[in-house]
Amino acid sequence: MSEITPIKDFLQMLLKTKKLIRMYPENNPMYIKAINDMYEKFEEVFQDIGNDIVLHIRQYEILHDDKQVYYNPEKTDNLALFFFKDGIRELKFFKGINKEELEGFLKIISLDEKELIDDDIVTLLWEKDFQYIRYVVDESVLTEDEDYELRATQQVLEETSSPDDLLRAYRDAMDAEGVKATQIMPLAETDLKALMQEFEKDSEPKLKKLVHIISEIIYQEYNNKKELEEIIPAIRSVLEYSIKIADFESAIEILKIVKVAAEDKEIPGDIKVLLKKIIEFGGSQTVIKTLGEVIDRVEVEEGPIREYIQQLDRNAITPLIEILGELKNMRARKVIIDSLAILGRRDMQSLVKGLSDERWYVVRNIVYILRLIGDKRAMEYLLKTIRHPDMRVRREVIKTLGEIKAPQAVSTLRDHLNDPDPQIRIATVRALGGIHTEAAKRLLLQRINTKDFLQRGLEEKKEYFEVLSSWKDEEVIEFLVKTLKKNALFNRAKNFENRACAAYALGLIGSKEHLKILKKYADSGNPVFREHVRNAIIRLEASHGRT
Amino acid sequence: MEELKKTIDIISNLAILIRTSQVHDINNVAVVNLIERVTGLINNFFRDEKILQIDLVGEFFYANDTRLKYSIEHLLNFDFLSRELKKRNIGTVVFKEKLEAQDIKIFLKAFLSAGFSKDPLKTMLDFLKDLKTITVDKLKRVKEDEAIDMRKVVKKTYFNAVSFSKGIMNKIKAKEAVNIKKAKRIVESMVDLILEEEQLFIGMTVIKDYDEYTYHHSVNVSVLAIALGQRLGLSKKALNELGLAALFHDMGKVEVPLEILNKPTAFTEDEWLIMRKHPQWGVKALLTLKAPDPVLVRSAIVAFEHHLNYNYSGYPKVRTRHEQDLYSRIVTIADQYDAMTSSRVYSRVPLPPDKALSILIDRSGTQVDPLLLKFFINMVGVYPIGSMVLLNTNELGIVYQSNPAFPDRPRIRIIMDSSGKRTDTTVDLTEKDPEGRFIRSIIKTLDYTKYKINLAEYLM
Repeated sequence: MSEITPIKDFLQMLLKTKKLIRMYPENNPMYIKAINDMYEKFEEVFQDIGNDIVLHIRQYEILHDDKQVYYNPEKTDNLALFFFKDGIRELKFFKGINKEELEGFLKIISLDEKELIDDDIVTLLWEKDFQYIRYVVDESVLTEDEDYELRATQQVLEETSSPDDLLRAYRDAMDAEGVKATQIMPLAETDLKALMQEFEKDSEPKLKKLVHIISEIIYQEYNNKKELEEIIPAIRSVLEYSIKIADFESAIEILKIVKVAAEDKEIPGDIKVLLKKIIEFGGSQTVIKTLGEVIDRVEVEEGPIREYIQQLDRNAITPLIEILGELKNMRARKVIIDSLAILGRRDMQSLVKGLSDERWYVVRNIVYILRLIGDKRAMEYLLKTIRHPDMRVRREVIKTLGEIKAPQAVSTLRDHLNDPDPQIRIATVRALGGIHTEAAKRLLLQRINTKDFLQRGLEEKKEYFEVLSSWKDEEVIEFLVKTLKKNALFNRAKNFENRACAAYALGLIGSKEHLKILKKYADSGNPVFREHVRNAIIRLEASHGRT
Repeated sequence: MEELKKTIDIISNLAILIRTSQVHDINNVAVVNLIERVTGLINNFFRDEKILQIDLVGEFFYANDTRLKYSIEHLLNFDFLSRELKKRNIGTVVFKEKLEAQDIKIFLKAFLSAGFSKDPLKTMLDFLKDLKTITVDKLKRVKEDEAIDMRKVVKKTYFNAVSFSKGIMNKIKAKEAVNIKKAKRIVESMVDLILEEEQLFIGMTVIKDYDEYTYHHSVNVSVLAIALGQRLGLSKKALNELGLAALFHDMGKVEVPLEILNKPTAFTEDEWLIMRKHPQWGVKALLTLKAPDPVLVRSAIVAFEHHLNYNYSGYPKVRTRHEQDLYSRIVTIADQYDAMTSSRVYSRVPLPPDKALSILIDRSGTQVDPLLLKFFINMVGVYPIGSMVLLNTNELGIVYQSNPAFPDRPRIRIIMDSSGKRTDTTVDLTEKDPEGRFIRSIIKTLDYTKYKINLAEYLM
């Protein structure tokens, strides 16, 4: 077998592993297997060719022992170019490499360009300080100015030491005072302990410190518009960065500092305007988009996210609605919804714009938020949305109308009692119960009295009677008792269902005086009616005692 | 990784054993227990390896050719062993399989006896000649030609950093994009070289170019900060962050008008007000350089705090005192030391290094952190590189390289011989005559700034 074959196989395996590493999360069995397989491949190659694997990197090819083992003329997804572009000219793997180092190396080579914004490959390899992987770098890529060293050397050597001065120094030295050397300071255990404490403190995140510094700068320059204008981009970038790294506490701190300053009487009006722009930026599309990406990806405590959003201005509402439709994480969506419920109170107009969103689930979320806000001013927008093509939105709107107790909605809801979807009809009945006006009651009674009602399913009918029972007034009780007693010649089974619903409702009303009449039907031949009557009796006796 | 931990443990315990045996008799139970422990640790190492070769090269320990990186809790033990080995001119100790406690006991006796011998290495070799499991070898000195080559590499890296520093400041002034990746790479090269050749690199900081002061100063502060960070035991990654923060610490000066920056006379109150704004301008410049990352955040903090002073007596004045960042306190020391020893527009005559050091000591606890200053003094040495000294041989020289094991015995570039004639040779003050007496010792330090002496001539 040719000596280059194992290296070619090795590189193919490396490329395959790189893809798998990029594809699967660290806890995935495929990821773990890929690392193990690559490790075995390393062992195999070391057995075949010796104690090290040396690869010479060229722009489009990789050589081993001067023989080509990899070639790719493409500019993308090219292993040779990947190393070459940052100056790596030789890669060396030593026998003894462990899985930890191997995984570290594979993670680095699996990064794509977007992930290499701050560091290049050499920096990442350097930081890892691998024991069994070495590399040779062409440092000439770092040279800014080829001739600088020569010029600078000439410059500093331009003035040579004067022989006369040297002699003078020598003579003076003879008469100078004795040696006064600085005393060396031996390190004690206490110094090392103090140093350890320094390191411990140093491991704390640094962003909060920078936020304090920003606060100092704002206060030092509070009357200097030019300075503040110039520092604002820096503050904005720190704010965005704190969101990016999910340090919401720092972001909140920045907004609080800016708010306090903006409300300070000593700060001139035009500077206040500048400061408020920072808060606006915190709610801008750019920052909110970053926030969405972070909370969708990382487990972050909900409290600080909510607090951050609550610090924002109304301009954040539209971007928040935008990301609401993009978030995949349920928990993250809930946080945004709750936060919008708070921001939305400040600017209903911006919030209801979300009702025109093309995504049905966003519309449903906005309706839900309006329900949380519970402001009757939302009524007119909700009524416009009640005819939304998606049933899930309609149902949410109906539910909301009921919960915000909007009497004007009764006439609109009337139509939905006949909706083809039973869930919509049930939601409408409940909404009418929520509104709880005389008109709502009348509408329900009318519906129950229609021929069509008799044919509805038992569950739907029970909803009507249950909602109706919440009125507990004379008219309703009289109606229920009448229905309970009502015999029919036709559609007897369906009529028994109505009577069962009436018994159920009387049970819910909970009045002791209805026990007597209910007991009359306790042994009815119709099992549905009998069961509901008996359950109502049990309920009443439980609350009033047996008679 | 496991092997490295084992060897660090072995060296640490070996140091404890030697220290304990200097206080107690070799048959004392504490010493005997430690002998057993060291024997056990080495034999445990032999489960996977056949040999353990410990080398001391410069300031670093190597085990079987791998450099040992140890945490702060081992610092005292490693420092102690390094000093004791150097005293005995021993650079290599090799342990072989089938080691017994008795062998360690013989090694210990040899080591202790060598400490009182005129020729410690010979004493040790005589003691160990029949022992098959432990051998020692002399301390290897870096060969002169190797040192020269390394000096070239260090010089190239240094000037490349200065050139980059100049480029970056000009780009910021011109509001052009700055390549931070490149900055990181340059500082990485500096860190690597400082880890290997700390003294050579510190030597470079003595070269001062009046016309390019700002750029040299940024790099010098970075070099001194990295070197101090290394002494503190910071990781390579942390040293890179520290080096970058130090390199950028004066970035705010790009906004100071040139007529103020280059003013040869004392500043007016208004000019001071502007000058004192450079820390906050540094924050602004750094944070608008690119999207922030941890390095940039840290650099901005250092830029803001490097003139605050340990007791907050400096500037900018702050409303609330938050504890100063560790890197800021490191940079403060490096900044003050380099500024004092440089010729600047507003202070044409620099201070000699030993004078600068004594001023820093006066500022300990007020302007500078006393703990960090302790490490700094130990780093630059009793006679910092660039100090002019008179030897007991009546030779005049410049301190060329410090010797951490013998702080008062650095390497000296002799510039005037004992008869007062110009010369150019390098001597090591640890050299002894056949009777075991030091050949040369420093008797006086002198202020080279009083004379027209260009240190670069001797140190580059």
